[in-house]
Amino acid sequence: MISQELKKVILTELNLDDFDLQDETMAPEVPGWDSLNHVNIILAVEKSFNVKFKSYEVLRLKNVGDLQKLVDIKTGK
Amino acid sequence: MFSSISLEKIFSLLKYDPNDPLIFSTSLFLFLFLGFLIFYNLLGKNKAARILLLISFSLYFYYKAAGLYFLILVVSAVANFYLGKWIAGTHRFPVKRLFLALALILNIALLGYFKYTNFILQIIADISKHTIDPLAIFLPIGISFYTFKSLTYVFDIYYDTLKPTNSLRDFSLYVFFFPNILLGPIDRAADFLPQIDREPFISKEDIGRALFLIMLGLFKKVVVADYISLNFVDRIFDFPLRYTGVENLLAIYGYVLQIYCDFSGYSDMAIGIALLLGFKLMDNFNYPFKAASIADFWRRWHISLSKWLLDYLFKPIQISSRSLKIFGNVIALVVTFFVCGLWHGAGWNFILWGVFHGTLMSISLFFKKPKERLYKFLRIYNTRFLRFFQIVITFHLVALSFLIFRAKDFQSVVDMLDQIFNFFHGEVFLQFAEKLPLILGLITIGYLFHFLPSRLGTWLQKIITAMPLPVKVLIFVIAIWIVAQFKTADIQPFIYFQF
Repeated sequence: MISQELKKVILTELNLDDFDLQDETMAPEVPGWDSLNHVNIILAVEKSFNVKFKSYEVLRLKNVGDLQKLVDIKTGK
Repeated sequence: MFSSISLEKIFSLLKYDPNDPLIFSTSLFLFLFLGFLIFYNLLGKNKAARILLLISFSLYFYYKAAGLYFLILVVSAVANFYLGKWIAGTHRFPVKRLFLALALILNIALLGYFKYTNFILQIIADISKHTIDPLAIFLPIGISFYTFKSLTYVFDIYYDTLKPTNSLRDFSLYVFFFPNILLGPIDRAADFLPQIDREPFISKEDIGRALFLIMLGLFKKVVVADYISLNFVDRIFDFPLRYTGVENLLAIYGYVLQIYCDFSGYSDMAIGIALLLGFKLMDNFNYPFKAASIADFWRRWHISLSKWLLDYLFKPIQISSRSLKIFGNVIALVVTFFVCGLWHGAGWNFILWGVFHGTLMSISLFFKKPKERLYKFLRIYNTRFLRFFQIVITFHLVALSFLIFRAKDFQSVVDMLDQIFNFFHGEVFLQFAEKLPLILGLITIGYLFHFLPSRLGTWLQKIITAMPLPVKVLIFVIAIWIVAQFKTADIQPFIYFQF
């Protein structure tokens, strides 16, 4: 389940009003979330949740659900 | 006497010959493949025997292309299999990293030795102004493809997105698999390995698609690529100053179509042949000249390589340099496309070609937002009108890059551009059309088919699928007959072999 907070950060970064982000949603399915923009979303998530990911942790993410799990682990949820 | 001569002839035909690899468009391949396919189907549900037959045929196929160097392929497969196992076998991150580094060193050293030693020696000689004789190093065909293929396995295990297989046999099949060993697609272990365990189910649609792809691939390779290369493109590229600008421009357009038909034709055949064996390989091309930007082009051209570079090179650099923001992206782009160029061959033309693409994409990063604002101000944002111009401009930038890629030296690039801009002589076009109608016709049909809606391909596939089997066979035989008519005396090697 994607939290409203994470959804807001992603949608704001992509300039999207709304998009149904599910655990299984993958980056290319979301308008504007391309390989060049990917890094901006990671930076925005790190800034917003005040966390720092390791490169290895980011590179193994497969979908938005994985990103949510990583954020949860980092924020101690 | 007669039979001994025939046997000798057959034996020499089946033996390794450096100038005669078993490429898909040769009659020997078609003949051997048909025989193999019959046995493969006869073995049906006996999975172990079927896989063994496939591995043996694949090894023979590679032996026919690289001789005894097929042993390197075997060693590389065994080494990568165990490195993958060791990476997965430890929970200690530094140890995982060490094994990954070992795998990278091994694969890059292998590729580096065979492919780049003489290039590096030449650079050293140029810098030191001493003469260094090149070493006699044989370049095993397909080494760039199977090295990258094996590395997907090791990387994915390292990132914990793939569980290693316990079967060296299955992993070997993935690496040796003959349809894509010489020229890709650089399929992912994660996609291929699960297919080995499944019963090979080939639906009616698969057969229709396979036959369509094999026929299309043969047509692209033999009728379009080989024919226009031998009879037109090569002549102009060899002596550009002997021809007018209009001929030089047509030769560049011709070469762009040639390299596309050559390479995507081979990919089509590889995907079609794999389908007949019950394996689905990843798509490698998606109408690349319909791209509206260079980034879009790389999502459509040699997709298996661009995805490989994206996942295993671009992203790691991009993420680890993310604090540099947009400049992190620029560094990642330039490094990735430098490697992309180098991967294609040990030559400055390839490096320049790669860096040209990386630079274009980096520039477009800085102009993305201002461009959007300008398009919105002009009210052409997201319009067909804008898209048309974007496609035309992207195509010409790609064509310019392939001119660099193909030209024998930088002077030839300058000469060809100079002829186009200063010695165009548009009226020569009519003479050209009169003298070489088939060349012009093939180039026109090639591009026309490319730019027509992709529905056309799907529609043709459906028609072939719906045909009764005897009609399918008849169509296939007719297609081979047409291709045979076009076949030149000597078969041109696939352009991508040298990579």
